Amino acid sequence: MKNFRFLILITSILIVCLGLLSIYSTVYNRSIRIWKLQIFWVIIGLFIFLFFERFNYRHLWDAAYFLYVLAIFLLLLVFLLGIVRLGAQRWLRIAWFNFQPSEIVKLIMVIFLARYFSTKSYENISFSFVKRSMWQAVILPFLFVAIPMGFIIEQPDLGSGVMLLFIFIAFLYISRVRKKYIIIFLGVMILLVPLFWHFLRDYQKERLLVFLNPNIDPLGAGYTVIQAKIAIGSGGLFGKGWLSGTQSQLRFLPEAHTDFIFSAFAEEWGFFGCIVLLFLYYFLITQSIRVALKTQDNFGQLLAWGISFLLGIQIFINLAMNLGLAPVVGLPLPLMSYGGSSIVTTFIALGILASIDKRRTKF
Amino acid sequence: MRAKFVNFIIIFIFLFFGISLFNLQILKGRQFKEASLKNYLRLLPQSGSRGRIFDCNGKVIVDNCLSYDVMLLKQSQQDLKKIFKKLSSILEIEPKDLENTYKKEYIASSLPITIVKNLDVKKAIALGELKADLGNIIIQPHPVRNYPYGKTACHLIGYLGEIDRWRLTKLADYGYKTKDIVGYAGIEERYDYYLRGEDGALSIEVDNQGRFVRLLGFKSARSGKDITLTIDLRLQKIVEEALEGRNGCVIIMQPYTGEVLALASYPNFNPEVFIKKTNISMLLRNPESVLFNRAISGLYPAASVFKLISVVAGLETGKIKPSTTFNCTGNMEIGGRQFGCWDVHGQENLMQGIIHSCDVYFYHVGLILGAQLIYDYALKFGFGRPTGIDLPYESAGLVPNPLWKRIHKLQKWFEGDTANLTIGQGYLLVTPMQMARMMALFVNGGFLVPPHIVKSIEGVPISFPVQKAIKISLKKDYLNFIRQALRRVISEPDGTAHILADLPVEIAGKTGSAQVSGGSPHGWFVGFFPFKNPKFTICVLLEHAGSGYAAALLTKQIIEAMIKEGLI
Repeated sequence: MKNFRFLILITSILIVCLGLLSIYSTVYNRSIRIWKLQIFWVIIGLFIFLFFERFNYRHLWDAAYFLYVLAIFLLLLVFLLGIVRLGAQRWLRIAWFNFQPSEIVKLIMVIFLARYFSTKSYENISFSFVKRSMWQAVILPFLFVAIPMGFIIEQPDLGSGVMLLFIFIAFLYISRVRKKYIIIFLGVMILLVPLFWHFLRDYQKERLLVFLNPNIDPLGAGYTVIQAKIAIGSGGLFGKGWLSGTQSQLRFLPEAHTDFIFSAFAEEWGFFGCIVLLFLYYFLITQSIRVALKTQDNFGQLLAWGISFLLGIQIFINLAMNLGLAPVVGLPLPLMSYGGSSIVTTFIALGILASIDKRRTKF
Repeated sequence: MRAKFVNFIIIFIFLFFGISLFNLQILKGRQFKEASLKNYLRLLPQSGSRGRIFDCNGKVIVDNCLSYDVMLLKQSQQDLKKIFKKLSSILEIEPKDLENTYKKEYIASSLPITIVKNLDVKKAIALGELKADLGNIIIQPHPVRNYPYGKTACHLIGYLGEIDRWRLTKLADYGYKTKDIVGYAGIEERYDYYLRGEDGALSIEVDNQGRFVRLLGFKSARSGKDITLTIDLRLQKIVEEALEGRNGCVIIMQPYTGEVLALASYPNFNPEVFIKKTNISMLLRNPESVLFNRAISGLYPAASVFKLISVVAGLETGKIKPSTTFNCTGNMEIGGRQFGCWDVHGQENLMQGIIHSCDVYFYHVGLILGAQLIYDYALKFGFGRPTGIDLPYESAGLVPNPLWKRIHKLQKWFEGDTANLTIGQGYLLVTPMQMARMMALFVNGGFLVPPHIVKSIEGVPISFPVQKAIKISLKKDYLNFIRQALRRVISEPDGTAHILADLPVEIAGKTGSAQVSGGSPHGWFVGFFPFKNPKFTICVLLEHAGSGYAAALLTKQIIEAMIKEGLI
């Protein structure tokens, strides 16, 4: 019997260590405090992991609706009291640190959706949403998702908002909702894109346009995309070496310790380093999917799937953004990027995963 | 089933990332490495000064003085606005104009941008004091060409300018770059490779704000090589003063070595204009072709001076003798057309024919010799090809012959053409430099000397651009005969240049009046002096001066000044 939770913990600690090395490299010559803070959050994160590993995840079933209300409340607070940084209102000031509720809201929505889709129907005891109507299977849960999504996009945090949508679509797929319904839903979403475009902020439109062609504005919105590509590309096969990445050291690469940590890592560690990192992430995601596949409990299974999606989609979007394959939307790379909210949320998610693995019915 | 599909998608996405990384880091790695270098490397050029130019006595003709450029390193937009505002108060230039030059001068992010050029010392010091506040501004002293004598020897020296595309493509292999300052025309162009200083540079590391982080490397600038000319500045000044105001040129050359002692062309220009960049377009639009060096690039009919070629050809081949006599009746019929002379000279022998510059006498000579023979001798004497002087843009001239006329004019050669060629008219075109060299040949006993104006480079005498003098075998008696004739052109009361007879120095030479369509004839005087022990060959050409008389008069003026200065 494989001990998935052990492998998950080891993998995530390895990734966190690579992240700490890269954060040190990007900040050591201006503010070492950031690095120390990250270490602090990692330690807190590890304790939280251990706490959630021991915590029975089935309690989350009962708490799902309460958590949902809490999420809405937090987002409302951000909307009313949130502090503005980098042109966005995403943070709440708690004591001496800034807390980004959209991170935890994403996890709460995963728990909520797992709860919603694991509800059994009266007619059919078997775990399946196949028989459910369009209203029950798609429209009603989407309305639940749409409220926090709206708040998050309004912050504005397009990345997290779009992530919620992706997680929702993944849940529809994995909950065996009829393909016909999923296709109808996707069709409606695509038809709504022009309308959605109309509601975007100017800078968001600019970023999306710049993604299509970074050279339209090389010193403005396209700057980050170009600098990230230069950082990654100039790493070459073996990289420039730790503490020697000129793009991040001399600050040509913006947000090198947060959203663009991967570019900073790629510059210093090269192609080989990147392949190792990609493998670690791949291993982490596949291990968490395995937990889902081995779990019999409907709620536990969906929750494990949801956490896999949460990690996977965020990793995909961030890496794609670094590689210039997706527009710059401001999502951290789980376990690597600097940021307490992200680190703690990720460790909570991994803790829940470990808890599911631990309490699985064993044969 | 659905889980398998999800697994498949995950593998697919990770593979896609791997391929993207391979593309960015391995396939395009070098390209991005260069881009990252460009980001943080800045090169501060340190210009080396151009070599100086001296005259044959070691007097400075052209040297350098320091001037200051204000340069900026590439930096953020807000900082720029602030800097422009501060700079404009000192420099008295609108911030908008500064911004425009900044945009115009931008080459690459790794190079500093020059926003103000040629600042004087006072403003440079004022800026230097502000430097602490301004941060990224660089005040770069750099040497600029200084012309202490203004227009003097301008055609010899040439001028400076930014390298053009044509030169850049030709010279890129020799280390020339865009925005390099190179010589145009004259010594500055011909010897640019020696004169140009080698630029050094500081390479520094900067951060994203363009702020200095550390010094990476340093290469010191090297000055160009100094060049000493064969020109005598005193003589050059005399010649230019004499020529002032009259279109034409004067060459004074050492007859034995081909060293050019003075060379002037008018209209002239002040090369400083190209440094200060004022009124350049006016200069270039001037219909009088100010930049044109008439002494080597101008093409004129050789006129009566060319009769000497027929004399040599006739004597050497034995077709005429000094005693050959013809009768000048004022005109002569050749091929059904009347060819006139400028006077009626009666019975003349060869000596008298030369002294009077009688056209009819030489029509007879020409018809005896035939066009081809005159053509052959003209080529022997260096006509029809460049003299090889070490100045750019020399013209070859043109000596016609029957074959040439058939090919280029699609016409038969007539006897009249021969007559015209004999007296240096018709299709014949020569440069004043070719004429001076021909005269030198009579002086030095038959050597076609290579004219040159550079004596040494950095103290080392040059040998390479100077070809060996070509020996033309001429009988000594005949040479003496021609020298005597040239002397008597001046000493005889009815000689065409008798006006020069009253000078304390004995002069020999030949005048010419070149008929041109449109305007009065050009005047030539080509000669040498002192007669007994010649030290100078002189060639004067005055455009549309009416006749050779004006040129002889100018020669007189020059020689008088030379005597006054004690140069003879």
